[in-house]
Amino acid sequence: MPKSQFIDPEALRKPSQLVFAPIPVNQYAKTIGEEKANFSDDDFKRIYHDMVLIREFETMLNLIKTTGEYQGVPYNHPGPAHLSIGQEAAAVGMAYELDADDYIFGSHRSHGEILAKGLSAIHKLSVEELEKVMNTFFGGVIFNTIRKNYPQAGIRPLAIRFLVYGTLAEIFARETGFNKGLGGSMHVFFTPFGVYPNNAIVGGSGDIAVGAALYKKVNQKPGIVVANIGDASMACGPVWEGLAFATMDQFEKLWEGEYKGGLPLIVNIMNNQYGMGGQTCGETMGYDIAARIGAGLNTDQMHAERVDGYNPLAVIDAYRRKKQLLAEKRGPVLLDVLTYRYSGHSPSDASSYRSREEVEAWEKHDSIASFGHNLVDAGVAGKQELEGIRKEVQDMTLDLFRLAIDDEISPRMNLSKDPEAIGSLILSNGSVEKFDDREPEVNHKMEDNPRVQQLARKERYAFDAEGKAHSKMKQYQLRDGIFEAMIHRFYKDPTMIAYGEENRDWGGAFAVYRGLTEALPYNRLFNTPISEGAIIGTAIGYAMCGGRVVPEIMYCDFLGRSGDEVFNQLPKWQAMSGNLIKMPVVMRVSVGSKYGAQHSQDWTSLVAHIPGLKVCFPATPYDAKGLMNSALQGTDPVIFFESQRIYDIGEQFVREGVPEAYYEIPFGEPDVKLEGSDITILSVGATLYRALEAAGILKEKHGLSAEVIDARSLVPFNYEKVVNSVRKTGRIVLTSDANTRGSFLNDLATNITSLAFDYLDAPPVVVGSRNWITPACELEDEFFPQPSWIMDAIHEKILPLKGHQPVENFTGAEMIRRAKLGV
Amino acid sequence: MNEILHVNTSNNAYICAVKCIDMASPILLPRQGQSVESCIISQFYVAVGETVSVGTPLFSFETDKASFEEEAKEEGVVLALFFEEGEEVPVLTNVGVIGKEGESFEEFIPEVTGDAGSNTLVEATKEAVSEEPARQAFVASGSTAPVTGDIFISPRAKKLAGQHAIDFRGIAGSGPEGRIIEKDMIAVVERHGKKTPLAKEKMRREGLVPGDMRTGPGQVIRAADLLKGDTSSTLESELVKIPHIRRLIAKAMHQSLQNSAQLTHHLSADARRILEWRKKVKQAGGANITLNDMICYAAIRTLKAYPNVNAHYLGDNIRIFKGVHLGLAVDTERGLMVPAVKNADRLSIRELSERMKGLADACRSGSIDPELLKADGASFTVSNLGNYGVEMFTPVINLPQVAILGVNTIIPRPMDMGDGVYSFVPHLGLSLTYDHQALDGGEATRFLRALADEIEYLELSF
Repeated sequence: MPKSQFIDPEALRKPSQLVFAPIPVNQYAKTIGEEKANFSDDDFKRIYHDMVLIREFETMLNLIKTTGEYQGVPYNHPGPAHLSIGQEAAAVGMAYELDADDYIFGSHRSHGEILAKGLSAIHKLSVEELEKVMNTFFGGVIFNTIRKNYPQAGIRPLAIRFLVYGTLAEIFARETGFNKGLGGSMHVFFTPFGVYPNNAIVGGSGDIAVGAALYKKVNQKPGIVVANIGDASMACGPVWEGLAFATMDQFEKLWEGEYKGGLPLIVNIMNNQYGMGGQTCGETMGYDIAARIGAGLNTDQMHAERVDGYNPLAVIDAYRRKKQLLAEKRGPVLLDVLTYRYSGHSPSDASSYRSREEVEAWEKHDSIASFGHNLVDAGVAGKQELEGIRKEVQDMTLDLFRLAIDDEISPRMNLSKDPEAIGSLILSNGSVEKFDDREPEVNHKMEDNPRVQQLARKERYAFDAEGKAHSKMKQYQLRDGIFEAMIHRFYKDPTMIAYGEENRDWGGAFAVYRGLTEALPYNRLFNTPISEGAIIGTAIGYAMCGGRVVPEIMYCDFLGRSGDEVFNQLPKWQAMSGNLIKMPVVMRVSVGSKYGAQHSQDWTSLVAHIPGLKVCFPATPYDAKGLMNSALQGTDPVIFFESQRIYDIGEQFVREGVPEAYYEIPFGEPDVKLEGSDITILSVGATLYRALEAAGILKEKHGLSAEVIDARSLVPFNYEKVVNSVRKTGRIVLTSDANTRGSFLNDLATNITSLAFDYLDAPPVVVGSRNWITPACELEDEFFPQPSWIMDAIHEKILPLKGHQPVENFTGAEMIRRAKLGV
Repeated sequence: MNEILHVNTSNNAYICAVKCIDMASPILLPRQGQSVESCIISQFYVAVGETVSVGTPLFSFETDKASFEEEAKEEGVVLALFFEEGEEVPVLTNVGVIGKEGESFEEFIPEVTGDAGSNTLVEATKEAVSEEPARQAFVASGSTAPVTGDIFISPRAKKLAGQHAIDFRGIAGSGPEGRIIEKDMIAVVERHGKKTPLAKEKMRREGLVPGDMRTGPGQVIRAADLLKGDTSSTLESELVKIPHIRRLIAKAMHQSLQNSAQLTHHLSADARRILEWRKKVKQAGGANITLNDMICYAAIRTLKAYPNVNAHYLGDNIRIFKGVHLGLAVDTERGLMVPAVKNADRLSIRELSERMKGLADACRSGSIDPELLKADGASFTVSNLGNYGVEMFTPVINLPQVAILGVNTIIPRPMDMGDGVYSFVPHLGLSLTYDHQALDGGEATRFLRALADEIEYLELSF
């Protein structure tokens, strides 16, 4: 909603019609002879070699899966192997023109792409660069293994073996694999060669790759990004969201200077005609030719075209032309690469969905065989030479296969010897002030920022010397705490960007970012389409490449819209990469109220359940600033919950006021907000203030002194403080706005019981919301925990309070009744 | 054991089982009075596999008030016993099975007993029965009251009990569902006296116990104050489990002192006239009307004139009785029992005498109707320790009654006979304990004086 863009009714209401440009289909028609100007004989033979290598590699896996041996060597691989036999020309053609700086992202069926891109990078990197990469990767462990077995080989042949071995060992879950065996077949990657994560979730790369392209653009890094996704993934929401994000007008119309222009991105559809067994053209999709999709996305139609992926030269030709477009900042590009897999979806696939004739017909067109014929016909290579290439590849494959299955040379992670080998990789717990040393790009000095100037006049402690509260307008609020941490990092880390819906101009739906629009150019703070999936997915891609990013999804209720990104992608990649990849993503999530069933839910428990995420929910300005500072200094993905109930709350606990200077609050440390001796109340998020109210009533009416602890973080969580409190008081109530069933509070309660059982005078009692829809604002007090509920819970479950008349029913019988009814 | 009389019951199922030797039949726990829901199995006299004949004592059991014995009603082999000694069993439950060797008793395994508000679920699997009579007791769903006999105590309170070496079994829990919580335990600790950490440590390690000395600041018991009192570790002794009936007496007595404002007035009455009457009774032969019968008779007559003493104090209300229902303290082997003589004011001295003797015998033999033992079944109680030579005591009120009369021995006291002449006159000591919540000193004194007058001028016809 930039004011600079005028939406003119006069212009918009005029009659006209949309005209689409023709979308080329299989237009490449050059012969080897015609291409001799562009390729040397060695180039042609290298293309042939690379295709043969991929074919042999996958044939080996297929034989292992179907016959239990390869060239007479038995092996059992129980894990997945999604093969792409038949698609080699598409993979090699895609990778041929790419440099090591160009990144590819893939799918579950990406062995061919990994090898093709790796081989391409090995060809392009200097011998020194190659040696350095291999020497430094995991301390040279893989390189040493290879070198020992091939003492005579030169660096490039060694690098090829390094690539094949690292990939194979990874598929076989060996610690000497590219990702310590933690990624496996569907996730292998090797970033030094520009091979970025492949994704077992169909379409998973569809938005992550866009984030990588965003990283290249925002940080002015060389190279392009290729998202290799299947034809069937074009039905996935996150892919469409990624496309919407990638084709935003603002790149061309609002971003300025060197940032102006389209993303350096090629969405490369490896169109093998099938999604598992569903036939995309004719059965499960309606696009006929997938390239058609480009026409619907932007005026450039994403420069979409279909190329014949059974001819490597056709694909290379397309990449030469498209790379040029990207260099001119005219991206993104959509390529529909026609191909076909002979192998099934997986080795268990009986191919019941296609005829033998169809497979045989494609085999007659086999890209390797026909390319070989053409080379012989054009006099580039003799038949025997090509046979020699094939034989050499076969021998090498057998050698490397033997190495990769040797338990001495290629051991798996020893979890009995090192039980925390995986545990230590789940979070990286790094502390990085900035991810690049260049000067952060800002519009003015921080002290010139209107919001910063305004905050200087605020009261950083809520009460005056007499203990009287300052007016809300005068108080430094929780939203100000988040803002200060954000602007601090924007001025420190040049890679830091933030985006989401209404983040610019509007200042965020809850005015947290007010003032940032003035301070930052578009390329650091911008509005996104209403695509929560892509908002998080792109952030994942951005962070993977080495940038810090704060995506925001407005309401917590929209978390479901970014479900795969939050549950499957964001938490996984640090560990699945063997911790080579860092994930400095701070995802801001705002918990609403007053807005009914789909705008008032606290879903902290959902994300706390997922390993690999840090989760916090500050409830005071001091904690909000300190925790945001920690989140923005860290290297882990953080789900940063905020509550709309308390954006305007002042600092009521830190008497010195919220410091203007930078400080961090470590994750996982709960905080005692009120000391007491008779009962502990542990709150999550905004319920802190209701817990304090209950503490007041307990003191006033019953002479009981309550200790109120604010959890602040959910993951990680240090139980010591709470357990010490419970040892003292013997009683604990836990409260949050999350509905009770499956609430993280139950996890806390169970662990507290286990840790302090002998000190408990009653079981810990959870006071959460009812297991209902959130009703209208006027009925919310019957749904969300109230101070009186805390009193009732204490009275009925912990310590009968003299004269207390309970309203809410916390008895065992009622628990059973509700559970029986499922409410 | 032979003194324990078998109490006939009117239970049909029970009678029906008699002599049915053709097939296994259950041993039922009989119902003892309308208000009895469950009994405690005191002791089994037989074991599984033993052969019994009609009349063989099988087991003894007790209610709140009395003990009973159950005999075999048929001959055969004890095939199964489903409970253990000390367990509380709902009445009319199968306690065991008698039949021929090898017969199946599966059908008699007690299951859920839902009668009379009891939520005890007794579950016995076939395997468990053949090995040992193991069962599990559950609180059925929806029940909020703990099963009688189970003690619910929070881990924290239990820990405290351990630290202070306190037996928590008799403590009434004030937490949810009767749970003993920290608060309850602190109250007990405070009552027992606070101890220094060293004193507590010594109590635990050396078996010392606190005495009356509290020389620490704030009356804290110091290690030096402890006595070598733990008989279990230093002196030859035997640890005896307190029987159910003893626990009930203990609870009732303790509660009485906790929950009322008791004090005792002592006064004595000229006993010459009742001694005269006693002599006449003996001379007449026939009914043996004792001094105690006469004193009770006098008390009943006095109570008719002082209805406020013939009453129950119920907190917000006082229940004043029209008739006199006289409680009679009876000392038995199993402990104190207080049967009631209902409508005692309608009885002649002879009838009263006979009734009291009958009740005392029934108590001592264990055959007393439990209904007659309820504290709220009497409106006033007499406890006579005169036979034992007690000169003065402070009886404890049987709540909710408002008073109890203690009768002491007769001793000669000097008495002004006029004209400066003093002679020794036998006097009967009377000790009236009353609840000051219900009665003031004036009224209590007037009642006691009137009773003394009644004794001094007693009129009898027999």
